[in-house]
Amino acid sequence: MKIIVAIKQVPDRDAPVRIAPSANWIDERDLQWAMNEPDAYALEEALLLKEKAGGEVIVLSAGPERAGSTIREALAKGADRAIHIICDDLAARDALGVARLLAAAIKPENPDLVLTGLQSEDVGSGQTGVIVAELLGLPHATMILQVEAIDSGLKVKRELEEGWFQSIELPTPAVLTMQSGGNKLRYATLMGIKRAKTKELRTVNEAELGVDSGPVVTLEQISAPTKQKSTQILPGSAKVAAAALVEKLKTEARVL
Amino acid sequence: MGNILPILAEPQSFSATERLLFLALAAAPVYGFCRRLWPIVSKILHSKKDPGFHLFPIGRRVRDFVWEVMFQAKVIRERPLAGFAHALVFWAFCAFALVTLNHCATIFGLGFLNPLGRVGRFYFDFAAVFAVACAAAICGLFVRRFVVQPKWLGPVSWESGLIALLIFALMATYLAAFFVPEASAAARALWWAHTITLLAFLPVIPHTKHLHLLLSPFTIFLSRGGFAEIPPLADDEDFGLVAGKDLTQLVSLQAYSCVECGRCMEHCPANNTGKLLNPKEIVLGLRGYLNEYGPASEEPLLGKYSAQEAVFECTTCGACEFQCPVGIEHVPIIVGLRRGAVNTGAWEDDQGAKLFLALERGSNSLGMSAAERDKFVEKNALPIFDGTQEYCLWLGCMGAYDPRGREIVVALVKVMRHLGASFGVLRKEKCTGDPVRRLGNDLLFQQLAESGLDALAQNRVKKIITICPHCVRTIQEDWKAYGTPPEVEHHSEFLARYTGQLPPAQDKEKIVFHDPCYLGRYRGVYEEPRRVAALAGELVEAPRSHERSFCCGAGGGLVFLGEEKGQRVSHVRAEELAATGASVVGTACPFCNTMFQDAFASKGEGAPELMDIAQLAARGLPE
Repeated sequence: MKIIVAIKQVPDRDAPVRIAPSANWIDERDLQWAMNEPDAYALEEALLLKEKAGGEVIVLSAGPERAGSTIREALAKGADRAIHIICDDLAARDALGVARLLAAAIKPENPDLVLTGLQSEDVGSGQTGVIVAELLGLPHATMILQVEAIDSGLKVKRELEEGWFQSIELPTPAVLTMQSGGNKLRYATLMGIKRAKTKELRTVNEAELGVDSGPVVTLEQISAPTKQKSTQILPGSAKVAAAALVEKLKTEARVL
Repeated sequence: MGNILPILAEPQSFSATERLLFLALAAAPVYGFCRRLWPIVSKILHSKKDPGFHLFPIGRRVRDFVWEVMFQAKVIRERPLAGFAHALVFWAFCAFALVTLNHCATIFGLGFLNPLGRVGRFYFDFAAVFAVACAAAICGLFVRRFVVQPKWLGPVSWESGLIALLIFALMATYLAAFFVPEASAAARALWWAHTITLLAFLPVIPHTKHLHLLLSPFTIFLSRGGFAEIPPLADDEDFGLVAGKDLTQLVSLQAYSCVECGRCMEHCPANNTGKLLNPKEIVLGLRGYLNEYGPASEEPLLGKYSAQEAVFECTTCGACEFQCPVGIEHVPIIVGLRRGAVNTGAWEDDQGAKLFLALERGSNSLGMSAAERDKFVEKNALPIFDGTQEYCLWLGCMGAYDPRGREIVVALVKVMRHLGASFGVLRKEKCTGDPVRRLGNDLLFQQLAESGLDALAQNRVKKIITICPHCVRTIQEDWKAYGTPPEVEHHSEFLARYTGQLPPAQDKEKIVFHDPCYLGRYRGVYEEPRRVAALAGELVEAPRSHERSFCCGAGGGLVFLGEEKGQRVSHVRAEELAATGASVVGTACPFCNTMFQDAFASKGEGAPELMDIAQLAARGLPE
């Protein structure tokens, strides 16, 4: 099976996020970068499918030069080759624009399966994967935890709300957006990094892909949530405090 | 010199037939000796060259050789009685070198020691004193081996008995020659008896543990030095000890030098708590591997001869390496096998992968958000290091994120403020990479070391103080592979300098101090933390202390791996500490502290109080 995994480089969990002076995006200086977590699970699923049934795993990412480090990490973990769409102003683009870039790069590869995370940890719109499916005219499913190759195509486990799961089958080629936590991620190894150096990493730009990916949605302003501290300590004995708590849960929180 | 000194009786001349007989008798044993020894030497020589090996400076090597080989210091110190007996045998062998050479030379009329001359007579008598001591010692060792049978020595082998018998016979045939008339038939008979014993001894050496006679002087002289030093990887194709082709000359030499005395297993925390790991078997496993597959093999090292499970049970406490009398460096071997498994992705462990992923993306081994450290720094008003302060206070993962580790930092800060020492903490700090270094993840360790060195250079840090011996070791020794780290000191060393300026605590406690492996064996710091702890009371010692201290079970990244097979190492040690009757267990490592905390919590009521030496030092300070 030929699998393309679309990944995104996002600010590291522990990176100090500050709003840029322009107020429509974050200040990208002094940030550490990492692979978007749901994308890491998409990559893991792709590698497991390859280990079971053979095939090829291609990673695809749109982003500036720095995204190269995340792409190499994916190669180190076991992807066979990579396509890097050089895109210096990723933050100024919308989901449709990014999806157009990705779809244009995916199309000539004719993959059996396209996997990506269900959303990015920075913007979190959760749309890119499904728009890619629409642009490619392929069936898709979202919030997938596990994928199994069957004779008629794929059988996938989809996460619903309140602990419910759905099992669905769909034909290939298809696009799936992956939820975090379906598998255990593998760690990067020294051997993987050394081997990754010899793997193909092709760079392309927007002009070469021949798509117009200008945004139709623009981000006007972002702001940090205001901190509200509403902790209350209820005084008195346990009995008195418990009674007061029940009262508050009924009247103020209205959860009882 | 009077006539009181006995004279060794030697045959005065030998016939041509006797000479031919000697040559014929010697041929087979000498051939057997060479035939068995050569493949071993060849395997050692054909192993990979050791990356980063330097013969110079040679002073340290000569010192180790004189101390450990000639004086037998390590052999005696760790097992005084058996060790001294061994030393007597060894010294007798040294004294006999000349005697034996002369003995074989006499048959060709080339003897250079004349039993009647002043020098010869003196030397033969000198050797006789050693021969008496040696004969007595070998009897003692024989009793130990075959009657007492300490379990560390493993199952009894007939070869050990044969060797003991041959050594005794060598001494007896030599000594008896002092009591027979010169040029008598008895002298001639004894000469031949001595010769035959000598020849019988030869072929037994190379394929038994007695090979250490030949190899261990080299092993000790050539050892990497330092303690538990992890060697650099050779090149882009070196991922640690994966297969035979990765075994270096030093590792192969060490594998063949093992004398199977079992000191390593006697002191191993894993082996003492029912786990699979036995450091002796790791070394003998490599020997077995080399015998079967040789040093160029692609066959994985972890498999038939050593189990992956065992290799990942090591706490890297270094007790084995510290004890080894023949210069085997167990920790680099075990970490080397782990490197081979982790660097190639062969090691699959949920907890281990979790730790690696936490450090690939995050800043600390506990998997917490870096914002938690910021909050702790802010809450305790810890000054930020700006290059003007004397010390950079390195918090470490435990000091920054663990509740008990934080208490230790707060206590140390209180003492430093009282002493007027200037210090600051880095705005951001990542794990030093200690657990991943010991678990064998070179990729992650390099990233962490480089990022740490970079942060320290950017902040112009000259001196570091930290509460964690693992941070001390990793920054000072392991980071060297990637740059020049600043000076690092453990808070026990700092506090010990100022004990005179710290008021002792009012209530005197009975304190037992637990030596952390990475402070004691790794750094040689034993007395400083005791001086600090003594501020809060009277010290008692645990049965195993100082360089024989028993690990808490946390080291080598094991604290992050969860479940243990058999008994918990921490519980065994905690019980030993509690049994001293001390009201306080003094620690100097946040990992020991957290391990004993868990052990005492499971014990429930009546457990001693657990205090870091910084907390003990802060006890006497005004609130």
